Amino acid sequence: MAMQTTIERVEAHVPITVMTLTGELDASNYLRLVDDVRPLYGAGVRHLLLDLTDLTFISSSGLVSLYSIEKVMQGQEPPDPEYGWGALHEVGRAVDDGQIQSAVQLCGVQPGVREVIERTGLDRLFRIHPDRATAVAEF
Amino acid sequence: MVEVRRRVTIPAELDRLAEIRAVVRDVAHGCEAPADCIDDLVQAVDEAATNIIVHGYRGAQGTIELTAELVSDDIVFTLADTAPSYDPTTVPPPDLTVPPAQRRPGGMGVHLMRLATDSLVHRPRPGGGNILTLTRARARRFKEV
Repeated sequence: MAMQTTIERVEAHVPITVMTLTGELDASNYLRLVDDVRPLYGAGVRHLLLDLTDLTFISSSGLVSLYSIEKVMQGQEPPDPEYGWGALHEVGRAVDDGQIQSAVQLCGVQPGVREVIERTGLDRLFRIHPDRATAVAEF
Repeated sequence: MVEVRRRVTIPAELDRLAEIRAVVRDVAHGCEAPADCIDDLVQAVDEAATNIIVHGYRGAQGTIELTAELVSDDIVFTLADTAPSYDPTTVPPPDLTVPPAQRRPGGMGVHLMRLATDSLVHRPRPGGGNILTLTRARARRFKEV
């Protein structure tokens, strides 16, 4: 199944852009996802919520894209896709050092996807909300 | 007892990964595997196939022969290719004492493969290529993160 993304704007305490991911995020489409986020940052978006309610699968490539999106939203260049572990361990250090105030938050993460995120330690980077309403209220 | 549940040959292309995952899901469902087992098998086979395409064939044309078997209470997926030798089982676990830029790329997928399976075995394919065998018990396994 291919992956589709949709974009919505939500006015809360801060203006939030919600990107909904539907389908499966794998090595065939993870770079496109990062490319989808670049123009958002360029247009001034600073608070991004990724709604993963309908994301049914994520591979290691998909995890790299999540990290890359965070980097883009910090105004930085994403890592080389081949960087793999280096990217995630860089995340760990940045979180430990208090350097990252994540501009990207997640909601609606399904159990299988969440397990993959936790198995690689990426849950340390993103604040994860149970659903969109909770995320918007707490952003 | 060994039951062959499926044997398919799929072009080694990233756009075919979804098809490979669909085969794994279908076989695992047919073996009456629980949800966590299905998720693990889908993850492991996807990462294995991605590694074959990206690190094995490296953009060259090729195929992946995917075989699914039920061996007693284990679900076994075998991926055979004709790519240059590439053994993901030799990728060491991440060493946090090594600077990130010096760590071997691709290891994250192998890490996920290891966590999702009970065994991961590589052997050279006679005549050239690789055979990777991934085994996952249907019942809850004891291996943890």
